[in-house]
Amino acid sequence: MEGHEESQIFIFLSRLLGKVTCDAQGRKLGKVTDLLVHLAEPYPVVTDVLVKTGKGEAALISWQNIREGDGKFLVSAFTIRPDRELVFPEGSLLLKDTLLDKQVVDTNGAKIRRVNDLQFLKVHEAFYLVHVDVGFRGLMRRIGFERFMDFLLQGLFDYVLPDQLIPWKFVQPLVSPDLLQLNIAQNRLSQLHPADLADIIEDLDIHQRAAVFQSLDAETAAETLEETDPKIQVSLIEGLNPADASEIIEEMSLSEAADLLGDLPDEMAEGILKEMEQDIADDVKELLTHPEETAGGLMTTSFLQMPPTATVGEAMEFIHKNAEDVDFIYYLYIVDGEEHLLGMVGLRELFVASAEETLNNLMDTRIVSVTLDEDKEAIAQSFAKYGLMALPVLDDGAKINGVIIFKNLLEVVAPQLGK
Amino acid sequence: MLTLARKTTNILQSIARRGFVRLGLFFLLIGPGIITSNVDNDAGGITTYSLAGANFGLSLLWTLLPITVVLIIVQEMCARMGVISGKGLSDLIRERFGARITFYLMVILFLTNLGNTVSEFAGVAASLEIFGISRYISVPIGAAFVWWLIVKGNYKSVEKAFLFACLFYLSYIVSGIMGKPDWGAVRTAFLTPRLSFKPALLTMAVALVGTTIAPWMQFYLQSSVVDKGLKVKDYEYTRMDVIFGSLTVNVVAFFIIMLCAITLFPAGIKIASAKDAAQALAPLAGEYCSWLFAFGLLNASLFAASILPLSTAYTICEAFGWEASLNRKFIEAPQFYGLYSLTILLGAGIILLPGAPLISIMYYSQVANGLLLPFILIFMLLLINDRRIMGDYANGLLMNVFSWGTAVILICLSVAMTVAALI
Repeated sequence: MEGHEESQIFIFLSRLLGKVTCDAQGRKLGKVTDLLVHLAEPYPVVTDVLVKTGKGEAALISWQNIREGDGKFLVSAFTIRPDRELVFPEGSLLLKDTLLDKQVVDTNGAKIRRVNDLQFLKVHEAFYLVHVDVGFRGLMRRIGFERFMDFLLQGLFDYVLPDQLIPWKFVQPLVSPDLLQLNIAQNRLSQLHPADLADIIEDLDIHQRAAVFQSLDAETAAETLEETDPKIQVSLIEGLNPADASEIIEEMSLSEAADLLGDLPDEMAEGILKEMEQDIADDVKELLTHPEETAGGLMTTSFLQMPPTATVGEAMEFIHKNAEDVDFIYYLYIVDGEEHLLGMVGLRELFVASAEETLNNLMDTRIVSVTLDEDKEAIAQSFAKYGLMALPVLDDGAKINGVIIFKNLLEVVAPQLGK
Repeated sequence: MLTLARKTTNILQSIARRGFVRLGLFFLLIGPGIITSNVDNDAGGITTYSLAGANFGLSLLWTLLPITVVLIIVQEMCARMGVISGKGLSDLIRERFGARITFYLMVILFLTNLGNTVSEFAGVAASLEIFGISRYISVPIGAAFVWWLIVKGNYKSVEKAFLFACLFYLSYIVSGIMGKPDWGAVRTAFLTPRLSFKPALLTMAVALVGTTIAPWMQFYLQSSVVDKGLKVKDYEYTRMDVIFGSLTVNVVAFFIIMLCAITLFPAGIKIASAKDAAQALAPLAGEYCSWLFAFGLLNASLFAASILPLSTAYTICEAFGWEASLNRKFIEAPQFYGLYSLTILLGAGIILLPGAPLISIMYYSQVANGLLLPFILIFMLLLINDRRIMGDYANGLLMNVFSWGTAVILICLSVAMTVAALI
């Protein structure tokens, strides 16, 4: 219906900034310098307009008191205060200050973008912030060259440059740490895949990096840390106190945790190990005794092992209880009382067999393994030849010490991939 | 490759952790300040300093002292901004001053940097023309080499080679001493400021400022500081590194000017070609002076030609939020690779225009630098006084008085030069 359509239009922030504002008698107050929005889901709504009146004073005018007319804003009620005394309510933010020309994370594309303009949707009298404009068109609009550019492009190439808009629900602002705290409940960053999040963190500057990282919960932080460049890992952990750092490192897979602690300065690593749970700390310390690029340095001690006399039913029960905490679950390693490796059973075999079968009958005794000091080339050869997901690491007494997961080997043998 | 780099950094870091001296050494060797200062002495630099000495004798030597002071101040501010804010200069400008001002600034910066790139390729052409190699061979090969090195090749290892070859500048120092100058006259000239209203003199002064404190170097230095992830607690060492680098630049400049003043000026040789400038090295190298000079100029030109277009592309992409990384393919970062390639293409192309005057190009590109500098300085001063960015590290009163004063003086110099040229 006509009335309904008229009350919905899209407006850009660049059109609103700098608008002259007059009081009820038509006297000029000043120009619009910013808009205040209240952070609501799904879209923030404009609540006030900030008008600088000069002489170090400004007025924060409620949106309801503003009418538009003649290309100007007409205000019915306002109070002028010195700049310093301006107070903004909780859960609100200034758009130009926080977003315009600043960087934000596009959580849909997993990239960092710079904001050129903001787009509002006018519904009846309210303005909702719906899109962030990161495209070249937005840039041209800000500079005032939009028409000129259109004229050129259409005239020469018959091409209209499209807008590049990101919906607000995919936008995570980066400007101040407080802002990230504000958004913790709706922290969109944690919806990103850790590998993408790691890429984004690597692209941020030092302060933003720390702020983003500290806004993540321990589990997400751990997953992200595993995917991050080692130098940046160190830099991020150095910014935390030992208690918080240990919480995150505990959530990491053991071999990654060991690598990270190995890269930290000794005193810091000691401090963190002290704060960690005793058994995890012990496992990590054991891994740290091996040189980094040998089997001992690549392996994890967190894997599943069972005696040969156990049944498939008992094994499944065991896996069900422990799968969450263990680094590698897809092979079950069969060991005797002294941890000598007797064989292994894949998850597939376990699923297919009947519950009463013993592991002894099921296991594959053709053991492919590496020794503790095997170097990465030999390990890679074994992986390539036998097509395994993980390789057990045996010590001199044929006792199983750990397993090397393929992903950890890949990072060492082909570090240029995935960057 | 990553592992080797990591190992090296780990070793260096563990040395560094063992104390102030070791850390200081680490920076001095590979710090952003040292690299910046060596790139600063590019083709335009060598040419401008040579012209200053050959055309005006020792009379402009005094300018080096104030120029050094200003260079240290400007570079220290950039390094400080880089460490505290963690952002590059064009990033800060965009966030603080908005899209419109940034756009115009980037356009002007691009044109100035293009001029400088042209100057680097002029250096390549000039240095090889000494041996009779036509510019139509040397420049395309040079451009292709530089492009390939950055985009496909391993720049980091070649950087060490470039830096090593910068030892060439020692030949100016040795030559200068061997030329037995009248040290008394040199000292007087160095300490006595005198400036007349002659257009040529003023232009040369602007060029000297522009080549030593090139605007693009400030963007590059700040980006390097940010890239290295230098932290606030390391700031003392960063500052040391920057001061040391600045001093190095000016020591080299001093000797080039002095040497040309005592060898070329008395003989009335006005430098019209690189061969003329090479004569200055006669005291050291005798008849091989041309070889020595050509080698040094070629190294300086290629080094700067590798860095300058890249820095330009990074700066502009950073300001406009375009993807800027050598780790991405062309299609993923089209504006970055496009800008980079365009700069090299135009830079090399302009040199290949018939009759392009190489020496003049190298000289006037530095004049352009000198004209742009005060405006960049003003932006920097506004940023460095913004407590929201700099916190407690904003400029103190003394620093502000000094810096604003410098900006005013530089603007006056530029105005004087323009007026003198028009009269």
